[in-house]
Amino acid sequence: MSTTKLFLRGVADMRRFPLPQLCTLITVCMVALLAGTGLLILHNVQTEVLRTQGQARFQIYWKVGADMTAVEAQWTDLKRAPGVAEVSTFTPRAALSELMRGLAPKTSGGGLAQSNVAANASGNASAAAGSPGAGEDFSWLEGDNPLPATALVSFNIPPAEEPEPWMGRMYARLKALDGVEQVTYNPTQLTLATGWIALVQKAALPALGFFALVVGLVVGNTLKLMMLARKDEVEILSLVGARAWFIRAPLFANGVVQGLLGSVLSLFCLKFLQSWLRSVLDVPPLFLKVEFLPLTQCVALVLCTTCVAGLASLIAARK
Amino acid sequence: MVHLEHVNCTLGVAQALKDVTLHVERGEFVFLTGPSGAGKTTLLRVLYGDLKPKTGAADVAGVDLMRLRGSQLPELRRKVAVVFQDFKVLPERSVFENIAIALEVRGVSSVSIDKRVRAVIRALDLEERSYAPCRQLSGGEQQRVAIARSMVVNPELILADEPTGNLDSDLSRHLIELFKQFNTYGTTIIMATHNREVLSWAPEARQVHLVRGQIVPPEPGAPGSVLDTKPIIGGRL
Repeated sequence: MSTTKLFLRGVADMRRFPLPQLCTLITVCMVALLAGTGLLILHNVQTEVLRTQGQARFQIYWKVGADMTAVEAQWTDLKRAPGVAEVSTFTPRAALSELMRGLAPKTSGGGLAQSNVAANASGNASAAAGSPGAGEDFSWLEGDNPLPATALVSFNIPPAEEPEPWMGRMYARLKALDGVEQVTYNPTQLTLATGWIALVQKAALPALGFFALVVGLVVGNTLKLMMLARKDEVEILSLVGARAWFIRAPLFANGVVQGLLGSVLSLFCLKFLQSWLRSVLDVPPLFLKVEFLPLTQCVALVLCTTCVAGLASLIAARK
Repeated sequence: MVHLEHVNCTLGVAQALKDVTLHVERGEFVFLTGPSGAGKTTLLRVLYGDLKPKTGAADVAGVDLMRLRGSQLPELRRKVAVVFQDFKVLPERSVFENIAIALEVRGVSSVSIDKRVRAVIRALDLEERSYAPCRQLSGGEQQRVAIARSMVVNPELILADEPTGNLDSDLSRHLIELFKQFNTYGTTIIMATHNREVLSWAPEARQVHLVRGQIVPPEPGAPGSVLDTKPIIGGRL
């Protein structure tokens, strides 16, 4: 019997043990999802770190009620300033809209968040709770918006400059702008970024090896358990003179299909997880855009899981 | 066909076979008799390569069991067919598939498999159940499937370990007749049993009596024993 026929037999035989197959598939999928989640976190952190590498980011808050014409003129100047990489600005109205957008899906149960905002705005919580505008709409706040104008400015640090003294000087300049109440920045951001990149470069291979080992052990043991259901079949095949490959090929095909199906299913689960994380994290003040894994990493995850599952099934069937 | 010289075999710490010397010629029908725990199954396991003797010399169908490597096991198993008390058929597969599997592992073509399996199914009167899953078959039918799987490959030696153990008297007798018929075509048969009635259905067969792992002379008066008046065909210990 040809290898192709043996493989096809292995795939066809899967229907004969539906419950063990289903349990194995779920396990493979969950382990691959775990590995995929690790990759997703690694990928997004890496992307974020690389994006901001060599940059200093300042959050500038103007005073509440500051003259917006003057503020907008300052924004224009900021955008034109040398070394500016990115400027994101929010008028009080835009900030309120973002806040409404961010809170809207989660405030259906009551007005706690709204009450807090209202209390901060007017010092009168009962006014907010009793307000006809209470609900998901903060438009009633527009006349007395408690939010200041803000800008998030990223600078490329000149290569010749030492980052921390340069950031200190820039902080002082921004703080001195007319109408600015507060400026925040994280002076350790650069150190963190550099450290993170070094860590990722050093830890990536061991981490991937660890994931492969975990996938191999879990999948291998699960497949071994599944093979207990086929113990009699293997024994009979051995008794009638089947060679090792005749016995192992269908089991190998079974493992490969389990790995393939499990990893593809895990990618669907991962996509669902990423969409959920994006909707949760891409709101003020986080604005974290959680990206899905690039195609190469998706393919690598599927191939790795499939190979490990195939290998594990071969090892499990070697006796 | 089978040549064992001073074979010793242990199972864990217990010595299962002690200094066993046995020669079986091609075409012989041999009963392995003895009480439970005497070593009948152990001896059969040695003969089909499931247990390796500790010391001695052992040769089955031209295969040296003392030097048998895992990769050589299929070669031995293609010459030696085994029938068990618990049938060892695949319950979810059909009668046809169960028999065909022995030919598939040998790489026989589909056309030939079809022809040979149908012939053996007809010979063993299983035609009506050809495509029924084995789990739907009675014990006697399942044992016939197991025998058909052995017969279809035309082995040099058939080892049967208490094949009538789960069958009633009529079915057991029918089964022994099948083995005898197969033996007349030249296949060597070694059957382990502790059932005296079974021995009486094949009085021409040689008996090898085992007690506590050692071959001893058959009990006086047992059918086919050296002390019995009936002739022994091919008997040589």
